[in-house]
Amino acid sequence: MGYLEEMAKYQKTQKQKDFSADFLERQQIDDYEFWDQIEIGKETEVPEKFEVKAEDMKAYAEGVPDSNPVFYDEEYARKCGHDGLVAHPIFGTQVAFYVLRKGHGSWIRTPGARNPGQILEWYDPIRVGDVLSIKLKGHDKWIKRGKYYMRYLSETYDQNGTLKARGYMTLILPKSREDVLRFVKGEHALEA
Amino acid sequence: MADRLTFESVNCGDMLPEVKQHVDQEAIWRHAVTSLDYNPVHNAPEWCQTAQVFGLPVTVMHGNQTMSLMATVITGWAYPVGGRLKRMEVKLIKPVPVDSTCTYGGVVTEKHPIGKGQDFVVLDLWATNQDGDQVAVGTAQVTLP
Repeated sequence: MGYLEEMAKYQKTQKQKDFSADFLERQQIDDYEFWDQIEIGKETEVPEKFEVKAEDMKAYAEGVPDSNPVFYDEEYARKCGHDGLVAHPIFGTQVAFYVLRKGHGSWIRTPGARNPGQILEWYDPIRVGDVLSIKLKGHDKWIKRGKYYMRYLSETYDQNGTLKARGYMTLILPKSREDVLRFVKGEHALEA
Repeated sequence: MADRLTFESVNCGDMLPEVKQHVDQEAIWRHAVTSLDYNPVHNAPEWCQTAQVFGLPVTVMHGNQTMSLMATVITGWAYPVGGRLKRMEVKLIKPVPVDSTCTYGGVVTEKHPIGKGQDFVVLDLWATNQDGDQVAVGTAQVTLP
């Protein structure tokens, strides 16, 4: 049994079941944007939206795992002073991978990508029923110790245009399409 | 509900209860499915044997799972009293290979008495592996009632 079949056993939500999960699939990689193509300063409003369901929020907390009842029990969360079911602080990861599938922002899916750290800011709670969208801006890219870094600004908004969260996301990426294709074949291709 | 934690009751130097978590391949897969991060460096043991993205022939935990577990130190402490994370900055120092056991902790370093509803504390955060090596460090701002 392949790893994707093994992983399918853990899918619960509709979004998990519908998600195109093979990050090594050649057809998906053809739609990616690579480090040497990234335009710094370019802003994109990602067309794909994420409608938040309670099952999405609960599933994320389960997958951490974080058993805090504020993530599962709306009544308990209200007693604690929240205004409804609470999304785990890093729930935005699920939103990002759901909407960033091709082009600008697809860097997070790149085989060979590494995550050296993030800065996250939260402005307004994510609530069940929100329809979230993401705006991206390439912020910087640089070469350090033979590795190719990039940093982008990601802002998440709800259907009313309220800023929910902002992140400065840094990644180490393979430099080019050719390097990514080497990774797809199982070859190491990260350094300059 | 937890003991009544408030901004007034917190002091610099207060340690948050630690979280300890073993991560095997099943735990990584569960996180991948829920975060939708299917990158093979976390999920495909056979591919990792040759691709060695981190110089290791095994899968590694998601960086965002490390961040999520660092956040869990805060959610377990502050969210039962209505507290909220407002900012978090994390540097991921070392990869966490499959079958690691990490401990996540935090300490209060600053108090910011801005006003009711806006008061917040600053925390230092860390994650260490079973050998005592730091795998991640960070800071966070947390509002408290």
